[in-house]
Amino acid sequence: MENLHRVRIVVEDEGKALPFKDLHPHVAQMRVKEGSKIRNLVRYALTYMESEGTVQIIFGAYGQAVTKAITCAEILKRQVGGLHQITKIQYQTLQEVWEQRGPVIKSPASCLTVYKNCPSIYILLSKYPLDPQEDGYQPPQNLPTGETGKRTFESHGSTDSKRQKTNASNEGYQEEEAEEVEEPLDCSTVSWT
Amino acid sequence: MAEQTSLQERPSAHRRRPAPRPSRGPNDIYVNTKTDFRAQLSRCRRLLESGSQKELRVHGLGLAIGRAINLALQLQLAMPETLLSASTSTVELTDDLEAEGGEDAEAGTRNRNNSAIHIRVYRPHEE
Repeated sequence: MENLHRVRIVVEDEGKALPFKDLHPHVAQMRVKEGSKIRNLVRYALTYMESEGTVQIIFGAYGQAVTKAITCAEILKRQVGGLHQITKIQYQTLQEVWEQRGPVIKSPASCLTVYKNCPSIYILLSKYPLDPQEDGYQPPQNLPTGETGKRTFESHGSTDSKRQKTNASNEGYQEEEAEEVEEPLDCSTVSWT
Repeated sequence: MAEQTSLQERPSAHRRRPAPRPSRGPNDIYVNTKTDFRAQLSRCRRLLESGSQKELRVHGLGLAIGRAINLALQLQLAMPETLLSASTSTVELTDDLEAEGGEDAEAGTRNRNNSAIHIRVYRPHEE
């Protein structure tokens, strides 16, 4: 392995259709990468969404960049307002090609192809209503700028009260499980299994 | 308890308060970057397969978003009949600022936002 170096990474599903139904034909897709600057992404997305005739925008990311994509979508929702959202998560297959390196390279340079499954996210933001029955749909939250964090938190609280009601029957179990989650465990296992 | 001791060992300009957790039912799984992934996955599988929980809610904040997505997708791989429904939100976090130089200095707070994901893992036909 020491004599190998990564030549390229190919995203397998690049040409495949996006996981959304009823997409507008002119939809902008933002491919958020690890090194992308949130400032640049949001600046482009804002001017795109504020211009006439644009309806939808998609933020897509895999691996380490998913957090960045969510942050961009959240900022955009706050700035534009009234956006309907559908979030989809799936595995994306990455094809990594490793090539032998060193002074002596055999005539057919031996390559090693590795397939990796990376968690990825696609966030569709739309000015027009989307199907509320679709998995991962979020209606627009009309938030005044500045108080966003607090308000979102409150709206979560209201859905949680519903959740707590359903859990009331097995409360004894609840305590036990809560402790178990809290317990700090050894983190030696790799997360990308 | 553990959070307090670790903060005292490491003097810094600000202390991060723990993130707010609105509810902690048995089906709320909060993913962090320290919990063993396999242990948490098998715990979730046990919860879903035993039938005691109809749905799980997997929450991930900030850096743990990727792990939370991974956990939900692994659950779906293990049980192909389950469906995933993800939503995103912004969580307001509070930092306690500590002025350098002395204990008598004034301490303030600072708010910042972080992104979070909430994934509902459920079986479609069971109500």
